[in-house]
Amino acid sequence: MTNILQQPLVIELLHTPLFWATLTIGAFIIGQRLYHLLGNSAFLPPILTGIILVAVVLEVTGISFDTYMEGGQFLHLMLGPVVVMLAVPLYQFIHVMRKEWLRISLAISLGSIATVGTAVAMTHYLIGIPEITVTMATKSVTTPVAVTLSEQLGGIGALASAFVIVTGVFGALIVPPLLKLTRLDAPKAVGLSLGVCAHAIGTGRALELGNEQAAYAAMAMSLTATLHAVALPWLM
Amino acid sequence: MSGLLILLSFLLLGNLIQSGLALPIPGSIIGMLLLLAMLITRGKTPQSLQSISKVLSPLLPLFIIPVSVGIVTQKELLAENGISLLVIMAISLIPGALVCAAVMMVGKKS
Repeated sequence: MTNILQQPLVIELLHTPLFWATLTIGAFIIGQRLYHLLGNSAFLPPILTGIILVAVVLEVTGISFDTYMEGGQFLHLMLGPVVVMLAVPLYQFIHVMRKEWLRISLAISLGSIATVGTAVAMTHYLIGIPEITVTMATKSVTTPVAVTLSEQLGGIGALASAFVIVTGVFGALIVPPLLKLTRLDAPKAVGLSLGVCAHAIGTGRALELGNEQAAYAAMAMSLTATLHAVALPWLM
Repeated sequence: MSGLLILLSFLLLGNLIQSGLALPIPGSIIGMLLLLAMLITRGKTPQSLQSISKVLSPLLPLFIIPVSVGIVTQKELLAENGISLLVIMAISLIPGALVCAAVMMVGKKS
């Protein structure tokens, strides 16, 4: 292995930005294929497979993250327009929630305060590193917003992404049985909780449970991201 | 393509407002809120925005992979605090889910 890595042509390839952009797209496609192969299970989102594959290649080749990012930045550049694009689904949900807007707003804000408050307090007392506490505050927001937000607040973007993905997988795993156990399992309640606690991955899980759950989860995810992005900068 | 132009214009506008007024909210979020305000005012989503949304939405996770790979630079931190972080993330979900679901169901016949 070391021999191959020392070939001049291989060294050149590993320092070509386009190689890393291409590899990232390839890793994402493998992630998607694996996800479909496992019946769209919420527990192995394509993004997770993609990250692991790229990270393994970096480890094996010994290439630094900065060198990788010279290629990765081409994809990273799209994060801005994609966050702006969240206005499109949000606009549709505002129509849907007209009838129950007060209940939905209360559920989303109080639920957010409960989960983010608990996480921030625990991180502050158990770990006590300010950057991590700030980053933890963005854990329940959909990833593009969490990364942007945590960097704005002085947190660590890469860590924000990891927290969001782990929270999403845990939420998809814990929330439905927890609500069944406590008999708070009306479809709207389960959907909204999944959206607030587990964002996109929770919405994927909600899709497995039913259409009503999925609609409420997607709506809660959009509203939570907006609420947190606007409120957190003033609170942290 | 004009959908992409709309997105980028609102992103630029959001960034300008963010730095002009020194707001703590990210420019892309300001751009998103302005676009939302425009959609509400117009009363419908332009076809071009719907098309670009259909193209870009499935690719969203791809755009997040590069920054997420940065986790390889945080190995020490994770080795030291990884378990605590996992416990915090698991436990903090419980009050969130319970409060959220309770508010959705309180005072309602099932």
